[in-house]
Amino acid sequence: MPETETFVSKIFIAGSIDAVWREITKTDEPQGAMFNNRMHTDGLALGGQIRMRTPDGKYTGVIGEILEFDPPHRFAHTFRFTHLEDAECVVSYDLKEVDGGVEFTLTSKGVAVGSKTAKQMKSGGGFICKTLKAIVEKGRLPLHVWTIYHVLKALSFMAPAATKSENWPLKGNGDAQPA
Amino acid sequence: MKTDSFDSIFQALAHPARRRMLDIVKDTPGCNVNDVAAAFEMTRIGVMKHLAKLEEAGLIHSEKSGRDRRLYFNIVPIQLIYDRWTMEYSGWWAGRMVDIKYAIEAGTNPQEPDA
Repeated sequence: MPETETFVSKIFIAGSIDAVWREITKTDEPQGAMFNNRMHTDGLALGGQIRMRTPDGKYTGVIGEILEFDPPHRFAHTFRFTHLEDAECVVSYDLKEVDGGVEFTLTSKGVAVGSKTAKQMKSGGGFICKTLKAIVEKGRLPLHVWTIYHVLKALSFMAPAATKSENWPLKGNGDAQPA
Repeated sequence: MKTDSFDSIFQALAHPARRRMLDIVKDTPGCNVNDVAAAFEMTRIGVMKHLAKLEEAGLIHSEKSGRDRRLYFNIVPIQLIYDRWTMEYSGWWAGRMVDIKYAIEAGTNPQEPDA
């Protein structure tokens, strides 16, 4: 039996490849498709560090290192939840222009079988794809997703201490992005 | 998967062999065509045609790995169908009714978790 597994989520998005690329790589505002986290980085390039933080910057849910950055077609990075002890896995986003839009594929590889990370990656992929599609095609978050984000914001004080951003600093001025 | 039309998804799911193939791919992510074909008494070409229908509908993602092609289940098209016709609350009630159906058919009390 394999020790790791792979999850794939794929969706067609009726929009431009640049619009989809921006949604998954922007750093100047929270990424609605990525649980409203804001990407902090010391450089969007091979070897760059990324931190997915809450919009107020207080908590960091995910950390990673960029493995591939090929705009606007492929973005891959290591991935680890800060509140879990699970080994890191690799997440990649592939964008392919097709007739009328973009084929977006989210792949999570090397996920430890039976881990809490596996459980979250399994359900999270579909959520990210559907939310990304809604944002690009309709220009806004679905109402139920918007509601979830507001509830999460209200409950952020309950976040595990391990997720506090002071535990996950970036080198250089990666954290000096506008609030 | 070139459009988000539901037609290709329903057509793909309309065939019992394709539904079974989808079950196999879902249960064994990363399997290849031979793994799927082993469960059927049909030619490898026949299996590949069915898999192509599933891939066209976006239900299967295939990825080249050396000389092999690995197959993965993509749940998103089915989630989109669910979202299209189900609201949050109707989904909850429908889910409870399905739970009751399964429990009755299995001869267990729906209030009690499985032992």
